Amino acid sequence: MYVLLKHLRRLRREIALPSTGRGGSLALRHVDAGSCNGCEHELTAAANPFYDMQRFGLGVVASPRHADVLLVTGQVTTRMLGPLLSAYGAMPQPRLVAALGDCALGCGVLGERAALAQPLEQVLPVDLRIPGCPPSPQKIADALLGLMAGGGERSSATDAPYS
Amino acid sequence: MSARAGVSLAPPQATRVREVPAASWRAACEEQARAGHRFCALYAARGADGIELRSVFAHPRGEEVLVAPVPTGAVDTLIDLFPAAAQDEREAHDSHGVRFDGHSPLRPLIAHPADPQEWTVELEGDAAHQVAVGPIHAGVIESGHFRFAVVGERILHLDLQLFYKHRGLEAAAEGRTLAEGMRYAQRACGACAVSNSVAYAQACESAIGLAPDEQMRRGRTLLLELERLYNHLNDLSAICAGVGFAPGAMALAALKERAQRLNLAIAGHRFLFGSIALGASALRVERQTGKAARAELQALQDEQRAICHELRFAGSLQARLGGVGAVSAQDAALLGAVGPAARASGSRQDVRRESPRLSYADFVPAAVSHPTGDVAARMWIREAELEQTFAILQELLETDLSTGEADASGAQAADTGIARVESPRGETTCAVHTDGESVRRLHLRTGSYANWPVLAHACRENLLPDFPLINKSFELCYACVDR
Repeated sequence: MYVLLKHLRRLRREIALPSTGRGGSLALRHVDAGSCNGCEHELTAAANPFYDMQRFGLGVVASPRHADVLLVTGQVTTRMLGPLLSAYGAMPQPRLVAALGDCALGCGVLGERAALAQPLEQVLPVDLRIPGCPPSPQKIADALLGLMAGGGERSSATDAPYS
Repeated sequence: MSARAGVSLAPPQATRVREVPAASWRAACEEQARAGHRFCALYAARGADGIELRSVFAHPRGEEVLVAPVPTGAVDTLIDLFPAAAQDEREAHDSHGVRFDGHSPLRPLIAHPADPQEWTVELEGDAAHQVAVGPIHAGVIESGHFRFAVVGERILHLDLQLFYKHRGLEAAAEGRTLAEGMRYAQRACGACAVSNSVAYAQACESAIGLAPDEQMRRGRTLLLELERLYNHLNDLSAICAGVGFAPGAMALAALKERAQRLNLAIAGHRFLFGSIALGASALRVERQTGKAARAELQALQDEQRAICHELRFAGSLQARLGGVGAVSAQDAALLGAVGPAARASGSRQDVRRESPRLSYADFVPAAVSHPTGDVAARMWIREAELEQTFAILQELLETDLSTGEADASGAQAADTGIARVESPRGETTCAVHTDGESVRRLHLRTGSYANWPVLAHACRENLLPDFPLINKSFELCYACVDR
């Protein structure tokens, strides 16, 4: 254990992440609406010692009740549409939605029409778009930090039906 | 048979396909078992004269496919002969309406009925109750729904409802050209993208009568092992995370990150997407890149060994692994376990031994000193397999790798191609039906698909709070099951 902690301390010195510099935090809830698991791997990687997004106040929480941001991966399947809307409905307001990865952004979607629901932008108001297949952990962390600083732009879908 | 005798250097052979009448379907499959052939897959397809059922069996020299037209829509079940075929039969029913006499109740697999009683076991007794989990989980995890039947905290039984991420990739691939079909196989799963792509490419190449040259075999083997490297590091990290042992989880996550950066340096993508093509290999590794990659691999291996050494002496981790989620060798074989999960229970099955289209000469499957089939064994088998993967990668990178292509194999073109590839999670079987130009049917049965029922079995009699750990020790994908 001591050796592992020493190893991680050295790694932290070598990587030398910038100081956090700003206050605040964002609680993230991830929903996999039908991804290939690539975005999940990269979102998890954004917490590894190379990016360490927790130190910037970005943490994944277990429940949408505790979340500021709904982080959605994958093209929305018909089976995940209901659970996705339930998770959004369970969030306290104000709340934000981030589309993580090309599939969530409706790019290059593959599959049968009957198995896929409407694109995410048509069912929830998207505030942050993180393109990539999958986006790298660096891009994910940068985009979320930008959101924390007040970035992001609301899409046209209305907030009303699922509140 | 000795481990080495399984290494086949014979030229790749075309898949043998044999048609049997529906009435003798079961007998013909039973005959395969008697001949010592292993069940690999069962699926339905739309043939020229209606729905047909196909089963794939493997032996060290290749595969045999049985085809039975099912004009009445029903055949005898195989599940008492091959319990591993249970999910396959449920899928064939949901996708193509085939009925299986003797498979009762035939629970839905792809279909999601509103009433959970249609896919869960009935519980009796005052103390027994059901715990529902998902489809959205608490961490960054793929979507799927579990129903635990428990007494107190003890798990009696687990029913799985997957296919929340069903995108209809197989159906959507039908009618595309063989080259376009690659995207569908690759997109099935990010973490197994190379395995699934190679399986698809090999199935197509087998059908149209192409055999890879040496550079292409080396290139694909390199990519497959790079995929295994980052996955195994990820899975070891996940087991540490499964018991809340953050120092181990983070140290290994950092190694996984470096392995993915190596993927980016060698093949231009952290998950190696787009690196496999049909009938050709574009991957080139020149001296400088190869040398740098070998140095980084050596550094990764040194650190991984040091970390695993520490893990063996971390009491808070070790106390959680032994005897948890144990699967006996017999159960693993019966349920059709594959990959590290099977080898942790003592199996020596590894498709890399039987891969003449790849570069695995003299490959001997890894083993653990105590194949106890529990979380501990599933952890240490990955450590043992990493040793092999590092050695294979070092050897492949010793000489320059140039682009490769496939030549005519001498085998006649066929309408069916079958390929099996050892993914990080085990044997992946891909079947492609083609007229030579386009995909008529694509079926992908991945290592995760084979192992989900084994995971459900492994958590019986264990504590509910140990489920996340047992789950992490298998670390199965949902995406390549749901497709």
